[in-house]
Amino acid sequence: MDQTHASSPLAGAVHDLATEVVLALRSGDHLATVCGAAGIDEENRTGIAAVRVIGADLLLPSVLYGRHPHPGDVAVLDRAVREFPPKPDAPAATAWSHWHMISTLQRMAPPAPGAAATGTYAEPDAAWLEEAPWQAFTHQLSVLAPLAVPAAPSAVQRAAANRAVDLARGFVRAVRRRDWLQAAGAGRWLAAIGGEPATLGLDRGLDFVELMGGHDPRVALHVRAARLMAEARAR
Amino acid sequence: MTTTATQDPQDRPARERASSSGVSGASGTSGAALAALPGVLSSALAWTVAHRTRFALPDDVLEPHTQVNATLKPLGELAQLGSTIRRTTAPGTPEHERAGDLVTYAWEQVHEGALLLELLRAEPFAAYPYEIYAAFAGYGLRHEGFEALARPLTATRAWAHTEQHANRQLGLVNSERRVGVVTHTDAGGVLSRTWLGGLSEPWMFEGPSGYALTHTVFHLTDWGRMPDRVPEKIDGYLRTWLPAWADGCLESGQWDLTGELLAVAASLPGPAPAELLDAVWPVLADVQHPTGCVPETGAPVQDPAPDPYPFIDCYHSTLVTAFAAALSLRSLRSPGQTDGSPPGRERRTA
Repeated sequence: MDQTHASSPLAGAVHDLATEVVLALRSGDHLATVCGAAGIDEENRTGIAAVRVIGADLLLPSVLYGRHPHPGDVAVLDRAVREFPPKPDAPAATAWSHWHMISTLQRMAPPAPGAAATGTYAEPDAAWLEEAPWQAFTHQLSVLAPLAVPAAPSAVQRAAANRAVDLARGFVRAVRRRDWLQAAGAGRWLAAIGGEPATLGLDRGLDFVELMGGHDPRVALHVRAARLMAEARAR
Repeated sequence: MTTTATQDPQDRPARERASSSGVSGASGTSGAALAALPGVLSSALAWTVAHRTRFALPDDVLEPHTQVNATLKPLGELAQLGSTIRRTTAPGTPEHERAGDLVTYAWEQVHEGALLLELLRAEPFAAYPYEIYAAFAGYGLRHEGFEALARPLTATRAWAHTEQHANRQLGLVNSERRVGVVTHTDAGGVLSRTWLGGLSEPWMFEGPSGYALTHTVFHLTDWGRMPDRVPEKIDGYLRTWLPAWADGCLESGQWDLTGELLAVAASLPGPAPAELLDAVWPVLADVQHPTGCVPETGAPVQDPAPDPYPFIDCYHSTLVTAFAAALSLRSLRSPGQTDGSPPGRERRTA
């Protein structure tokens, strides 16, 4: 485990996982196993917790390239969902992340007939997001950036689509604050939903965010996802 | 999930001391600006009146060693912003009277223009004597001898080709308009060369580009008097991005630039950007000292003493606050400065 940039074993595992997702996004190699490359299997509790942090982005290369995910990654994601269900008083963002992991598993790797499904989890509420001031809205949406993927409708995505200008303002604010992770998350949402003001200059902005903050693989992951979605939209 | 959350930094003393309501992420209450503005304007003007002798020009103002930035510049700003406040406020109100008194005081300081003529004779090829004079001329205070010397100078090729930043060149065009001579170039062409006119990527906004942007709007609109001179695409661009920039200025305690951005917001054609004004004005009102002054930058002083900041560190931001407050009141009270069409945001992509 490369802990050069990590302050704890969990942070190190998150770093490694995000790095592998970025490599898979760059190469487009659908056979790659993200967890395997990061040295994480179903028995690695720190690794499972890290997968809970990365969330459904574990399967992002398959989602964006439209390919079947590696069974090992599916198994670890399934394990993370089962082992870390949100507590009843968990923040809404945690509930949304959990819901999205389950729906991604169901969409990308439906259980074989007779096998136990991961379970169901009602789509959480998003009314709080619709009413949030644009600064808090962007912050929360950035935390929920894994939900910014094509063909995965959710109340969060509808809220984002309704507030593209607010998200664009949040992107500007995040860049000014040198909060590269938030900027990358907001930029990923804008790439997913479109509709940002033309003067934002999102492409060059994402370049800047990646060059300034891309040493954090979570930043690189969002930027790479944004580019792939923007390219798909342009086609 | 929490470990991936991007957290708001905790080190924001200026902002948090400035506002107990924690403006970060909060929208202003509807009507919050109108509730705060009369007090902000009145208080800032009261401070300026009480400190007007600090704008007085020293006896050696024309000597080469004298610092223009500490003498003629503040006085010119007093004249410029005072005359705008005078024109923006209703006759008979105390603010209107005070602003008029301040302009009169500034005119006396330049000996009804005679001192500006001396300045021009000392530096005939510089632009700044003309710009200071134009602040008065736009208000109807004129000096025949100054204009007699300036007229041939401003008709030269050299004047028309003065090398300077585009937003300053717009300032020169506006000065020419105020004096009433033929402008040396077309304002539209100069505007397109400014940071604002280029509709620059908004995430590249920072202090210097921010001041270039605010002055572009001030010169374009003759300090907020002519909102209709703002082209539609620039209006949409500003309405779209001003909230993000103002938020950043509040967070970093850039009160002077915040005030200028508010003045820009209040200089747009059409309905006032009320949501932005309601969000930002209460914060700036909290930063304002009980005596009415506003610091340029940094954590506001809690000291109730009469002069909490050095004059040079607060006079400009206090004048700007009064100027922006007068424009904001006009903007919020008028039912649409032009045709009442819905506030434009720029068109979206896709």
